[in-house]
Amino acid sequence: MLGKCFGVLSVISFFFAIINGNMGELCNSIVSGASKSVTLTISLVGIMTLWSGFMNVLKQAGIIKKLSHLLRPVLRFIFPKSFKSGVATEEITACISANLLGIANAATPLAITAIEKMQSERKSNIASADMITLAVLGCASFNLVPTTVIAIRQAKGALITYEIMFPVWICSGICMVLGIISCRILGKIYGDS
Amino acid sequence: METVEKISSFVLPCVVLFIGLILLFGKGDCFSHFLDGARDGMRSAVKLLPSMCALVVGVSMFTASGAADFLAKYLSPVLDFIGVPSDIFPLVITRPLSGAASIATFEDIIAKTGADSFQSLCASVIMASSDTVFYVLCVYFSSSGVKKTRYALPVALFISAFAVIFSCVLCRIFF
Repeated sequence: MLGKCFGVLSVISFFFAIINGNMGELCNSIVSGASKSVTLTISLVGIMTLWSGFMNVLKQAGIIKKLSHLLRPVLRFIFPKSFKSGVATEEITACISANLLGIANAATPLAITAIEKMQSERKSNIASADMITLAVLGCASFNLVPTTVIAIRQAKGALITYEIMFPVWICSGICMVLGIISCRILGKIYGDS
Repeated sequence: METVEKISSFVLPCVVLFIGLILLFGKGDCFSHFLDGARDGMRSAVKLLPSMCALVVGVSMFTASGAADFLAKYLSPVLDFIGVPSDIFPLVITRPLSGAASIATFEDIIAKTGADSFQSLCASVIMASSDTVFYVLCVYFSSSGVKKTRYALPVALFISAFAVIFSCVLCRIFF
């Protein structure tokens, strides 16, 4: 997927840089993009390390197992294959719980762990239906309080600040449901690899 | 409303406190469990760099070449038709691509139309309820070695397109 994305982006960019005559800027963006990717990854390393450690503590203490029993009726519907085979159920539970609690920076590392765990039991390098559902839910990430946006609004002197939370909740909630439904339908059409 | 923020600011510290209590009173060597897990997490995070590099270079080329602006300009009649105000088109393009770029565009929209304008409110809801799709998919799949992501990107893009349109509808209702 990423290879194709990069190909498409580079062809389009080259084309537009010629038309707009800003080949110099394109040149700089390649170099600065490469170093920016390091900063982004490093900022993720700290969060990943912390949450994977926490996850393991909770797992060894048996807490995630209890939680996954509790959420089983709902999650079994969303991730049918994983909950049938019992692979990565604890990781999925942890990721979804973090998502629902609105701890967005924990949801990312937990989702990575969950997908790694699901992949470790498989041989093919094609994403399974459950992996895709988890990724789509990650894209519709639920934020209990969108702190960054509210902070920017306050800084710019907005009068409406916290009130944006209601539409945000409704919108992300419906996006999640829509994501689950679309994944279910497409999973049926494409089959589980 | 601020009480909601106060309560939500308790969530993360409470989870950490809970883990601290397990480390204090749990059976067995809990801290070595932490270290084991943390080591694995660090390893998978480092594995992200190669694909992250390709993604970030691709996206920054796309914005630097002016292709993003062009797209935003020529998509405007289509989006206008479905009720998305024209000032927020740049955000519609940058939101799925990059977090930093979308924050910059978001601030531009506020500077241009005022913080409490309809356009800024729509932009705020879009910012908060959708995510950087390309980045999320790249991060989720690349460290596990999954190559073919099948319908993940189309569904994720469809959801974020829906989020844009629906945010504007909700803003009309709420404000």
